[in-house]
Amino acid sequence: MRLLAAEMLKLRRRWASYLVLAILIGLMALIYLLVGSTAGSDPTGASTVLRFPNSYGFINQFVFGLGSLLAVAYAAAIGGSDWNWGVFRVIVARGESRSRYVIIKFVAVAIFLVIGILIAYAAGIALTLLAATMSGVSVGDPLSGGGREDLARSIGFGSLVVAERAALGFAVAMLLRSQLAGVVTGIVLFIGEQILATVILFTTLSSSGTGFGGGLQPIGPEWFQFLPFSIGDSVLSQAPSIGGGPVTLLLNPVPLELGIAVTVMYLLGSLAIGALSAERTQISG
Amino acid sequence: MTVAEPASRPSTEGLAVATQGLVKRYGQRAAVAGLDLHVPRGMVYGFLGPNGSGKTTTLRLLVGMARPDAGSIELLGEPYSWRDRRRLFRVGALIEQPSFYPYLSGRDNLRVFGAAGPPTPKHRAEEVLGFVGLRDRAGDKVKTYSLGMKQRLGIAAALLSDPELLLLDEPANGLDPGGIVAMRELLRFLTSQGKTVLVSSHILPEMEQMADVVGIIAAGRLVREGPLASILDQGTSVRVRVLESDVGRALVILAALSPSVEQTAAGGSEGPRWVSMRVAPDQASEVNRALAQGGVFASGLETGNDLETVFLSLTGPGTSDEGQPGPPPGWGQPGGQAG
Repeated sequence: MRLLAAEMLKLRRRWASYLVLAILIGLMALIYLLVGSTAGSDPTGASTVLRFPNSYGFINQFVFGLGSLLAVAYAAAIGGSDWNWGVFRVIVARGESRSRYVIIKFVAVAIFLVIGILIAYAAGIALTLLAATMSGVSVGDPLSGGGREDLARSIGFGSLVVAERAALGFAVAMLLRSQLAGVVTGIVLFIGEQILATVILFTTLSSSGTGFGGGLQPIGPEWFQFLPFSIGDSVLSQAPSIGGGPVTLLLNPVPLELGIAVTVMYLLGSLAIGALSAERTQISG
Repeated sequence: MTVAEPASRPSTEGLAVATQGLVKRYGQRAAVAGLDLHVPRGMVYGFLGPNGSGKTTTLRLLVGMARPDAGSIELLGEPYSWRDRRRLFRVGALIEQPSFYPYLSGRDNLRVFGAAGPPTPKHRAEEVLGFVGLRDRAGDKVKTYSLGMKQRLGIAAALLSDPELLLLDEPANGLDPGGIVAMRELLRFLTSQGKTVLVSSHILPEMEQMADVVGIIAAGRLVREGPLASILDQGTSVRVRVLESDVGRALVILAALSPSVEQTAAGGSEGPRWVSMRVAPDQASEVNRALAQGGVFASGLETGNDLETVFLSLTGPGTSDEGQPGPPPGWGQPGGQAG
């Protein structure tokens, strides 16, 4: 527990923890202000994003879409900085278990991410209310009907997916033993895999002849939906009211239970790789 | 005691650290090439060697940062492997440059380090901050610290677990004279408490004042080890200062008196230069006479035994970072090797 408390102290004192959240909420605020100021000319469109429970889908796009990217960068930065600053060798020289240290460090990162998700989600709801007030659209009750369940499922599934993606970034940084290389590689892998999955999807659709010619009938689940960063899309797409974008319109998501199982597997696998890498690494400079 | 090829395993009783045939390679290069180290308990052990001689690599092996390719280590009386992390609960270390979280205060850095490894009482951070004279600045972020302050904080971090064995790698780096004196006193205090301190350094005057026992390493091997006094006895030398133009003749004349004659220090490209030779001090007048008879008049003559003479005679002047012989005298000269 004292090691976890120490890791939490480090994250609490680190400006990156607040910067990541500020970027997320700041961008959300800009979009909501834009929506709020233009919603009057398009009441139908506005009601899809400013009326609960539909609004959850819009919030989720930010918190778990952009949020995932930021989480990958944040976790890689935290994991890699111990190498950059040379403090990992201090920890090793004190006789601390390398794998225990790495795992507890990630647990602290995950706790911070969940706290960040809750704050960002609360901000998203507040911004929805603000934008609805600005545009004169009736926002509805966030918790009425299935709203409460939608909220819980969104945050639950979203936290799992963000944590898994962060674990991937964290593992990359531990393998590369560098903050910058970890952040850059993590982001490149995240975006690269999405591009790759999209290219494979359209290649599959055009070669099978069932896609565009078949009246946009969704296909799959396909193998590339099981890739590390892509599997989360299937989990998120089954949280209520989440619009999954054009890719998920063309693809059947991976069944929820299987999606969650694979996501958890990737999360644990990433941690195992990070811990194993730390265990085996010889610190030579 | 000269350590060459160990024939049999010596007793390690009373030793805080003992290594036998320790080898660590990086690619083709052996950073440590069969090291036999014997660090007695309750003393300050000066671990000396030129840059790149294997000092830091040895310390890394002792704290499990790196895995030896061959050889064995005994730490605090028991065999030690790099997986035996719990043994390190009794060891404190400052390896290479001090490393901290720059955005945390000195105090918070000690707190987070104290949370790793052995259980450390909360008040211990304040205690060790007092030892190194950093209490007044303990609340400031480490990124505002000078190099010397970071060095002191590094020593404080090494002391956190009240270790039986303290490993310090070049601890005087960045310390001002007052800081060096304070560190020396601190290490003396620790040994008076029965603790063992292994200090690596290439700053010889500092070691001469600090160490009880020294080990000199060159190219990854221990070339001399023993009590400082007995090592100094072996370093008796006579140094004469002659004009630049007379150096060649002086070397020829003195070679007849001693086989170990060499040009040692150099202040610049011109002017008087020192020529050093290993002979008994009572031969100094003989040296002077021989030079005068040869038409070389010394402007200075010194006898003495210092660690630098022993060190240079064992490791050679101008040892390069790879542990290979480098350019001879002239570290301060343009084009010469800097330290």
